[in-house]
Amino acid sequence: MATRFERQLEQLHVEMITMGSLCEKVITLSARSILGYREELARQIFSTDREIDRKEREIENHCMSLLLHQQPVAGDLRAISAALKMVSDMERIGDQAADIADLSQYIPGETVCGEPLNIGKMAEYTVRMVTESVDAFVNDDLELCRKVIEDDDTVDSAFIEIKEKLAELIYSGHPDAKTGLDILMAAKYFERIGDHAVNIAEWVEYSITGVHRNGEKYQEISEG
Amino acid sequence: MTKKIFRSIMLVSVIAMLLGLVSVTGILYQNFGDQIYTELEREAAYLASGVELEGVAYLENLNDEDRITYIDGDGTVLYDNQADQSSMENHNQREEVREAAVTGSGSAVRMSSTLSEMTIYYALRLEDGTILRVSSTRASVLALVLQMLPALLLIFAVMILFSSAFAIRLSRNVVRPINELDLEHPEDSHIYEEVEPLLSRLYRQNRQIQGQIEAARRQQEEFSLITENMQEGLLVIDRYTMILSGNSGVARLFRVKQVKVGESVYALNRSEDFRRLIENVLEGRHQDTVLQLDGSHVQVIGDPAMDGGSLEGAVILLMDVTEKVERERFRREFSANVSHELKTPLTSISGFAEIMQSGFVKEEDTRAFAGRIYKEAQRLISLVGDVIKISQLDEGEVPYQWEEVDLHDLAREVFASLHAAAEKKNVHLYMEGGSAVLSTVRPIMEEILFNICDNAVKYNRENGEVFLRLQDSENEVQVMVRDNGIGIPKEDQERIFERFYRVDKSHSKAIGGTGLGLSIVKHGVHFLGGKLSLLSEPGRGTEITLWFHKKRTEKEGKESE
Repeated sequence: MATRFERQLEQLHVEMITMGSLCEKVITLSARSILGYREELARQIFSTDREIDRKEREIENHCMSLLLHQQPVAGDLRAISAALKMVSDMERIGDQAADIADLSQYIPGETVCGEPLNIGKMAEYTVRMVTESVDAFVNDDLELCRKVIEDDDTVDSAFIEIKEKLAELIYSGHPDAKTGLDILMAAKYFERIGDHAVNIAEWVEYSITGVHRNGEKYQEISEG
Repeated sequence: MTKKIFRSIMLVSVIAMLLGLVSVTGILYQNFGDQIYTELEREAAYLASGVELEGVAYLENLNDEDRITYIDGDGTVLYDNQADQSSMENHNQREEVREAAVTGSGSAVRMSSTLSEMTIYYALRLEDGTILRVSSTRASVLALVLQMLPALLLIFAVMILFSSAFAIRLSRNVVRPINELDLEHPEDSHIYEEVEPLLSRLYRQNRQIQGQIEAARRQQEEFSLITENMQEGLLVIDRYTMILSGNSGVARLFRVKQVKVGESVYALNRSEDFRRLIENVLEGRHQDTVLQLDGSHVQVIGDPAMDGGSLEGAVILLMDVTEKVERERFRREFSANVSHELKTPLTSISGFAEIMQSGFVKEEDTRAFAGRIYKEAQRLISLVGDVIKISQLDEGEVPYQWEEVDLHDLAREVFASLHAAAEKKNVHLYMEGGSAVLSTVRPIMEEILFNICDNAVKYNRENGEVFLRLQDSENEVQVMVRDNGIGIPKEDQERIFERFYRVDKSHSKAIGGTGLGLSIVKHGVHFLGGKLSLLSEPGRGTEITLWFHKKRTEKEGKESE
């Protein structure tokens, strides 16, 4: 028989999965909306974002109550503190997805569909990263965590590519500078979402191994 | 138990020791008293005879440790060897004196005031009526006991030590067999008669428990055997969405390595549809939905598990319905296609007929119009004929007979009928191989060969060639048709055998045909129990190979009847 504490931990896990799946949903929707804006899509994105915000409060409360009442140690403590950190990243993903939806109404779908400004491809990478980071959390998959962390480079370079091409295109006058800036911002949001997915993966890694990457980095710097 | 036995033994031995000591002391004391009394009696008799002979003077010359008192008949003390007789009171009232005066002899015991000493008196009446009394003083019981106390305590202590050592050993010996009892096999140990009923009861209960465990295990095995061998996934969850059990079907359908018991069911799939289904089921509602999991369709049926009115969890059944969904889609497409294909010629027929009816057509054009109507009607007939053929092959009801057919002759006929079409495109027809006799259904085989060769000619280029090779081996006949025509793109190769599927949709009208040709080939080959393979490269040509068994199998025989 599971104790009350174990039950609550599992409950937290379920809530995290739910929130992760909401994030997946919102980012998938916003990737769709950038390629072709529809009001219905945007509405769905905003309501999912609100749901994510609500879920964040819920999970935070849950974590606090677990910390206060159960005073967990070792792995359990790591799991809870990692969850606390992860929800803020997830919440940011929701916000930025909503921002993308907001921007996408000023961006004509055909300008970003296919070459040279392949935001669709970039969005696809980002969606995959978010899905994989949530997958890694659900299955405690260390390998997948590392894959997500490495995949960030792909999204980063895609962003740089888009930025450079956009500079040329704006110079040539098509698209106009205003749309160009919107596209750049949308691309930046996708890039940021990729970073948040990496953060999530790092916290999953921390909750499994007990070592956080940033910690290692700081140590190296101070030792070096 | 050891303690209790030890305590009991100790209690018994202490009581026994105490009783023993007391009674021994008492008996010894009694014996001692009796002895003194006898001595006093003898001494009194001896002294009496002395006094009778010599009078008081005898007593005065005597040196005795015991106290001797000589008393006159009226109680006056005549002599006492330990006190002055003149100062002594009248002894007439003394118990022993009175008794002696009456019966001739008397005795009495008197305690000293401290109770530490006691005096025994013995009085004897002489012949002249005087009384001679002898008395002896000794320690009383109490004094004796007090005197002996240190020795007694020592003995007592030693005995306690001995008996406790003994009691420990004894109680351990009694308990040891019980401690060493093999509770797994109580039937093998025979220690005490008193424990036998307990052991046999234990034995019976052991057997009962083993039987129950065995039954439970067998049930579990049966259950897992059933669930592991079923194609569907079976998942049992509790009301907190934790997985209680799941078979391998679940892992297969959800494409996970294994189903972890104790984990949330959302770890398997966290899609919104699935989450909503689980939530609804856990609120006590039956649910049924089809999930799309990259490429496959999984039907999920959830039923709440109730236990006496309260919801305990849910049972979820997963079924792979990809094929069903695909078939459904296929059927819909087929009916849509058939309707469309039937409608096109009918529309032209109706149009031409309408124009003719209105009378706008000149006399000389009537023939041309009739020709168009005839052509479209022919197309309709061949289409309907093809549809009928396909459904017959589908159902396995073909009204034809199995007979010996030489494929070489058949292929020659097919080539002959295609000659005109081939000539038009300047396509050369080649054939290789001798006669190959096979038991088959002639019209179907002809249809198959015709359709393949017809396609090979139709989808060829100018000056192309079609090459047919027959190979007759011991068990089977191989038919290979190769052309160097336009070929089929890779992505279309899987679909060309579907009904009405066209690689090049835009030119289908110009090329002609019903779009059912290769579908009939596929079904026909299947009906005849043969095999079919396709090799094609766009721009280089297509090669279709068929294999037919020479011996008809049971299945085919049945189908033909």
